[in-house]
Amino acid sequence: MTNLADLSLADAVIHARNGGSAALLEACLARLDAVNRNINATIWVDREAARAAAGLADKATITGALHGIPLAHKDMYYQAGRRCTCGSAIRRDFVPDVTATVIERLSKAGSYAFAGLNMAEFAMNPTGQNKAFGDCRNPWNSDYITGGSSSGSGAAVASGITYASLGSDTGGSIRLPASACGVTGLKPTQTRVSRYGVMPLSFSADNVGPLARSTRDCALVLQAIAGIDSKDPTSADEPVPDYGAALTGDVKGLRIGIPSGALMDNADPAIQAAVEQACAVLAANGAIVRRIDVPLMDAVWAYVGIISRVEGAAIHGRWMRERPQDYAPHLAARLYSGSAVPATYYIEALSRRGPILRRFAAEVFGEVDVLAMPTIPMALPTRASVDIDVYAAGGGDEGTVARFNAISVNTRPFNYLGLPALSVPCGVDPNGLPIGLQLVARPFAEPLLLRTGDAYQRLSDWHTRRPFRFGA
Amino acid sequence: MEFVEQTEAAIETWQAIKPPNRAALKFVADLAAAISAFEAQRGQLAFEDEPSSFEAALRETKA
Repeated sequence: MTNLADLSLADAVIHARNGGSAALLEACLARLDAVNRNINATIWVDREAARAAAGLADKATITGALHGIPLAHKDMYYQAGRRCTCGSAIRRDFVPDVTATVIERLSKAGSYAFAGLNMAEFAMNPTGQNKAFGDCRNPWNSDYITGGSSSGSGAAVASGITYASLGSDTGGSIRLPASACGVTGLKPTQTRVSRYGVMPLSFSADNVGPLARSTRDCALVLQAIAGIDSKDPTSADEPVPDYGAALTGDVKGLRIGIPSGALMDNADPAIQAAVEQACAVLAANGAIVRRIDVPLMDAVWAYVGIISRVEGAAIHGRWMRERPQDYAPHLAARLYSGSAVPATYYIEALSRRGPILRRFAAEVFGEVDVLAMPTIPMALPTRASVDIDVYAAGGGDEGTVARFNAISVNTRPFNYLGLPALSVPCGVDPNGLPIGLQLVARPFAEPLLLRTGDAYQRLSDWHTRRPFRFGA
Repeated sequence: MEFVEQTEAAIETWQAIKPPNRAALKFVADLAAAISAFEAQRGQLAFEDEPSSFEAALRETKA
């Protein structure tokens, strides 16, 4: 018999609809108590409020698709009157007076939040490490990074603490922990999901999306949160399709492109092999897989770092003047360097985003439907080998910064381009840590992306593997 | 004046922010590579006369 904490979100929904919300919550809390000492995935847990919400759900009329589902999210989604640390010492006691639209939408769908999850400080590193609250640790092996910045989301979903979790993604922060922790993560198209009430890092590149234990579960969460929001003028007025209906399992004729060049060829051989094997599985079921040249990557690389650097530096300017000592050393150092970039560079980088996207889409998505490549192109590093705060304090070696930057080399370009991207588990590296397959599609092609990821998960079992085994 | 010292002075003048630690100056030095990558793009793409609408491009390039 399956432990309730290990149910898929889709199965948990069925259980909750039969009056099982309280049982689901207790299973998640029991799992938290069993594993959290080893992984440090949470910043706060509100058991009392969650038990009250579960009790109400079990007595209430079912109105939403996520009725009675306990969820835990990265601790950067504002809930009026509830502490929200943003993973930082600076906001350790911050209590917002507004509630994020995505939290309201999940609540309207019937779910309730019971914990705030660990994260990189202010969502600003790809390793997930955190000096203020302690590193979140990979549930597969605590010596290794979880990926970041949504570190707690990746670790908690993998461990069975929560059925799904909202992460945020400015340069890979959903996809990287999904890859490193062996779960599924979706960065939607830029503008697809409201960011109102979400801690900003980079206005132009921030995205909200789900991490869950399958593509199907990600589709359930996306269905609840996607769509225009009058409180977020950057949210798109695009119809929200039925994401569940897209999950047909059919990949016959689907054109998959593996990029020639750095996105694939610079990856470790074992990582390349896992991605090629995943594509071969899809090809054996009717997909057409080929290599494809990806244009303009030098331009994308030149511009992508400029935008997030400058916007982050501007957002944090006041605190950098008043209390720089309260940041982790590496974060203060990175924010400082962002203050040096001329405004003309920033405007140029922004102004070329549209033209580059148009040409990229024409040349790539005129030839293939989906791009496939590694999410993280290297064997997962240990926390010690990429501890950039040790480096900032004068320790570590000169390779620390290079390894730190290499983690997100395959994810950042798609934030600049605004494209939807999905990471699904597709193997394990030589150290036994998960490998992620990143799939990328046209703007607003989430249905296609989810169909591809779901089809792969019907044909493979990597997404079903868990770091811990518990009885019922 | 060296690039790092010039930049440090500019940040302090324009933003009233001092380098928080030694690594901050290392990251400033690394901006030289960002500048080179940026300058390498000069002439590759024209600056649009009108402000680019990235959101319009997202809509135009959807399926």
